[in-house]
Amino acid sequence: MKRLLILVTLLAFSTASHAATPADAQAALANAVKVETQAAGLGNRWVPTEAALKAARDAIAKQNWDEALAQAKTADALAQRAVAQSQEQETLWRDAVIR
Amino acid sequence: MSLRSILLAVAALGLIGAGPVPQSGVAAAAADQKAFQAYFHDHFPKLPTAEFGNGPYAVNAEMRKQWEDIMQFPPYDFALDEGKTAFETKFANGKSYADCFADGGIGVRQTYPQFDAKTGEIVTLDLAINRCREANGEKPLAYQTGMMASLTAYMAETSRDKPFDITIPDDPRAIAAYEAGKKYFYTRRGQLNFSCASCHVVAAGQRMRGDILAPAMGILAAFPIYRSDWGSMGTIDRRFTSCSSQMRSEPLKPQDVAYRNLEYFLSYMSNGVPITGPGTRP
Repeated sequence: MKRLLILVTLLAFSTASHAATPADAQAALANAVKVETQAAGLGNRWVPTEAALKAARDAIAKQNWDEALAQAKTADALAQRAVAQSQEQETLWRDAVIR
Repeated sequence: MSLRSILLAVAALGLIGAGPVPQSGVAAAAADQKAFQAYFHDHFPKLPTAEFGNGPYAVNAEMRKQWEDIMQFPPYDFALDEGKTAFETKFANGKSYADCFADGGIGVRQTYPQFDAKTGEIVTLDLAINRCREANGEKPLAYQTGMMASLTAYMAETSRDKPFDITIPDDPRAIAAYEAGKKYFYTRRGQLNFSCASCHVVAAGQRMRGDILAPAMGILAAFPIYRSDWGSMGTIDRRFTSCSSQMRSEPLKPQDVAYRNLEYFLSYMSNGVPITGPGTRP
């Protein structure tokens, strides 16, 4: 039983997320903005990406680094999906044309 | 010569005569239009061409009944009056809208959008109105609602029953604009992974939540519209931007080149469908 408690405690400590730092949040936001800029270049900015970017910036302004990091990562993931969608559609759209 | 030889020779001549299917250009656009309209006539076999300008009311009997009741007092009448007055009012320099358009701007809606050979771009009616204003020292109007909707309502009303008559000149820039509009129409975008065609081709006539999806053929014939959902008049720009938002895609700016090209493509696909605007929609 004692061994089990020690193991659980160790696991809990090892998996606990560290609090985000300002540098983490700023870097994540910069990454997200970079991908979203690529999506914009493809004419495919998504509404929820823009919302997540705004939420990340707002969180940074409030020095809520954990929230900023989470929102920036969400924006990054959404923007990457938008870029992939545009790249796929570059050829796939032709399959939908009425012939 | 055997019958078999004759048949082979005829078949060969037929193939030579048919030639390759054009990939782009004016002939390809005409072939697109033919296939596009055939698709909608196949899907709505009882619907005459003229009815496609009535959108959801052409394909749903319940909605049509409600529309007929609404049309006893059309909600766009105020805009129509305002637009007529504005159209007939002279600018500060003494000129008017009539000086900027063919036939004094009366009965010309069905010819827009047009390809402008001087600038190499597509000019919508709304853009032409603002260019007219600016050329005469007036400030441009906002594109989505208000006076722009009123002016285009009046101009559309003077074109009622005139069929869309959009031309694509044999100019690489016009063809590129048409192709760009076509690509925009069929390309999926936004978080919901929808294209314009997802709703207005594949699901045309079907219900999406409370709405009946209008067929793409003739879909712009009724614009500008009084939309109950908006509680006011709206232009084609307003509809394009709200469609984009509904797909969870960030809308482009009104009169963005992509939206103008899309309007060019859709209007050309609708050649032959009479103008019904201004219109009403739920």
